[in-house]
This record gives sequence, structure tokens and C-alpha cells, in this order.
Amino acid sequence: MIDFQNVSYTHLKGRGVTNLSFSIDDGEFVFLIGPTGSGKTTLMRLIYFDLLCDSGKINVGNFNSDRIKKSKIPLARRDIGMVFQDYHLLNDRNVFHNVALPLHVIGCDASEISYRVEDALELVGFEGKRSHYPHELSGGEKQRVTLARAIVKEPKLILADEPTGNLDPVAAFELVQLLETINNEGTTILMASHNYNLIKGRGRRIIELKDGLMRGS
Amino acid sequence: MDKFLYLISEGLKNVWRHKMTTFTAVFSLFLALYFVGLLATAGENTRSILQYLRSKYKIEVFFKQNVDLKSAKKVSDLILEVKGVRSSTVINKDDAVRIFKDQFGEDILGVLGYNPLPISAVVNLKRNSEEMLKIAPVVSEIKKMKGVQEVRYQGHLIKKIERTYSRFMQLFPGVAVLFITVSVLVIYNTVKLSIFSRKELIDSLKLIGATKLFIQMPFIFEGLIDGVLATLISIPLIMGTVGGTNYMIDNFTSWNIELTVAPILFIWLTLLSGIISVLGSYRAVSGIMK
Repeated sequence: MIDFQNVSYTHLKGRGVTNLSFSIDDGEFVFLIGPTGSGKTTLMRLIYFDLLCDSGKINVGNFNSDRIKKSKIPLARRDIGMVFQDYHLLNDRNVFHNVALPLHVIGCDASEISYRVEDALELVGFEGKRSHYPHELSGGEKQRVTLARAIVKEPKLILADEPTGNLDPVAAFELVQLLETINNEGTTILMASHNYNLIKGRGRRIIELKDGLMRGS
Repeated sequence: MDKFLYLISEGLKNVWRHKMTTFTAVFSLFLALYFVGLLATAGENTRSILQYLRSKYKIEVFFKQNVDLKSAKKVSDLILEVKGVRSSTVINKDDAVRIFKDQFGEDILGVLGYNPLPISAVVNLKRNSEEMLKIAPVVSEIKKMKGVQEVRYQGHLIKKIERTYSRFMQLFPGVAVLFITVSVLVIYNTVKLSIFSRKELIDSLKLIGATKLFIQMPFIFEGLIDGVLATLISIPLIMGTVGGTNYMIDNFTSWNIELTVAPILFIWLTLLSGIISVLGSYRAVSGIMK
């Protein structure tokens, strides 16, 4: 699913990632850990082609960092669901319309959108409040909606960048369980976190970053 | 088709969702269009106002006492040949007495027992000249004519009107260009600001794989709606302002002028607001997406 070959990227103000090489297979659930500033977010951004690597090569599904054209990046992102610490929900539309947004992007018709949104909300355990706006939801609820939005288009890969960062321990634990349920359906998941206690003992592969370098996998 | 309808409906919904931003954009668009419209109306009507004022220009030519009506008419025909003269009307001695009575309420024949008023002519100038009308050469040529005793005219007033018109016509293109440029910049930047305030939406759409066109379309459509709304507000207000001015002229002045609004102006204003708001939206979204 994901293949990094000697990938390096340096931000304009310094830091980034250096000479990363690893692979993540289809259907795998991998945790990415490391302290703040270790390069986790940079690595994620390289995967969804928000950044293009300075050297090395990245393969994500059928897309390759060497050959990808700018106009094809949106297509690459349609196979990726994203969950962020700060949710990235749109405050001017309700839960239903937030979750439905990726389906409009891929051009689904209204009836398909309706049942797929319901299915996604049901899967993440968020069935009521579909007409509520993000500011009316708790942090845990917002993150469930974000997850529903990520899975509604049935992506092959989910990138979760510190998704539990703003959640209390119980909500954080539930979210990881939800991600595991989704992974059991065959979706590849890469979750970045600096909360080692949350991910230890789950029997999943862990990639560790420090100062932009890979310390272990 | 569903996708296209969705993008159109998003543009419409955005107008409602971001009422404050829409209000700001529409209001500044409206102000710019209103003043551009008034400026264009002023430019359009300047000529007719000037023509009206020129119709009031009058040169009075008084003939010597020994000049008879036949000779006066001959001189009047010569006056008509002078460049810039539109008409020359001879006023005989009897008409002069009647005019005197109309103006001063006195029967000069009854008071003096004879008619001391000379034969005269009223000369009007051409009204539709684009250039500044110079009255002095006309007067000097008339003065040279045989039998002419005196020439009276409102030299100072005419000079002032002509000079003001000439300055206005020199400045007008520059002022119009400046005004339209400022308006375009105001509209463009308002649209840009309203889009920058929704950077979060654009970023989110990018992350979920929306294409450039998918992101731009609702904004462009929204810009178009803002432009149409601003035009719909500015047109009746321009007409109202012109109507109000006509009412004031009618009721509070003795001028016989009616200001008009050319219908093509509204087409120009609609095009101006549409093009600027659509281009502004397109460029602002493209700028954020870079």
C-alpha cells in the first residue's frame, strides 16, 4: 500500500524527514510514534502528496511521487481517508453534510449519498445528532464525525494524525478501537501518536521517528 | 449532473451561510457600481446641460438711429454668416416698445411722446459645438459691421460656463478611469477577503480530493450572485437619484433640463460587476490553492 524508498524532505525553516525507507502492506494497521517535531506530520503529508519529497521515492497505491502530476493529486487523495487532531470539520454545515462532502467530490448521486452517510455514521457509533453543527458536539463526537467522513468513501487507506490529541482517555481508547474495527474490514491504517500508553500492547507494528530519522519498525 | 447541481446549490447556500461576508461584498460592490453609474450619468448629461445653457446665451445688437428696417435685416443676414452664429432675429422699433413695456411696465411712447428705441437684433450661438465656444471673435466681427451702434452680451458668465465645461471635459476621462480603477480594486479585494475568510473550507476540500474546478465553482457562482444582487440594488437607486435630481430641477429652479439615464448603462454595470466578481473569486481561490 505504502512504500518509502530513501525518502528525505526538508522544510524551508529546516527539519523534516531524512532517508526514510519502509513499507506498509494492504490491510495493515501501523502506529507511527515519536515526540513533537519528530517528523510524523511531515511523513503523513508526504503520503497524501501535500509535500513532494526532495529525494527518494514514495509509492501510495497506484500513485508514485516521481511521476504524479499536480492535477492527479486530488485523485490520489480520493483513496485516502484523513483524520486530524483538530478535526477539520466545516462549522457552517451540519454533521450529515460534513460526512457527505467526500461523496459529492467523487460524484455520487443523492440517494447513494444518503445511505452511505447513514452507514458511516452507524459504523462509528454516531447515529443521532445528524443535523447538529460541529460547535454543538463534544471533542469525542467531533472526532467520530471526522472518522465517519474519512471512511464514507470507503478508502483503501486511512491516515490518522494524532487523532486522540484532543480527546479524554476514554474517548481516545474508543477511537482506537473504532479504527481497529475499520481495519478488520480490510482498510490499511497509519495512525500517528505520541501517546505510547494508548498504543502499546495492541500487537500492531510501530514505526518510531526521532528528529526526522527512523529509529525502529 | 448531480455534481454540477450540487456545486450550483453550494454557491447559493454559501450566500446564505455567510450572510455577513455576502453583505460586505454586495454592499461594497453596490457602492462602487452606484458611483460609477452616477459618474457615467453625469458624463452622459453634461452635453445636454451645456446645450441648454448655450441656448440661453444672447448677443444683443443695437443699430444706429438712422438705420432703417431693410438695412438692419441686411446686416442681420451678414451676422448669420459669422462662424458660430445659429440665428439672428431683428426687432423693429414697435416690437422694442412692446418689449420695453413687458419688461419695465412703462409705455415709453406715452412718457416721451416719441420712440427713442433703436432697431436691434438678438443673436443666438450654435449650441452643439464640442469645443469651448469663444464669443469674443463673434462680437468683434459684429461690431465692425456697418450701422451697428452697440453690442451687448453676458461675456463674463459665458466665459465662466465655457471654461468650466472645457475643464470638466479635460478632467472627465481621467476621473472616470481613476474611479473605475478604484472601484474594480475595491470589488476585487472585497471578494478576495470574503474568500480568504473561508480558507478552512478550501483546505478541507483539498484534503478530501476535490479538484480545482470543484473547489472554484461554488465560489465563482457565489461571486456571480453577489454581482447580480449589487447590480439589482444599484440600478433602482441610480434611477431614483436621477429622478430626485429632476424633481429638484423642476420644482426649485427655472431650468428646463431633464436628466436621462441611458439603458445601456445598466448592461455595462451588470457586465462590470459580473466580470469583476467572477474574476475576483477565481483569482482569490486560485491564490489560496497554490
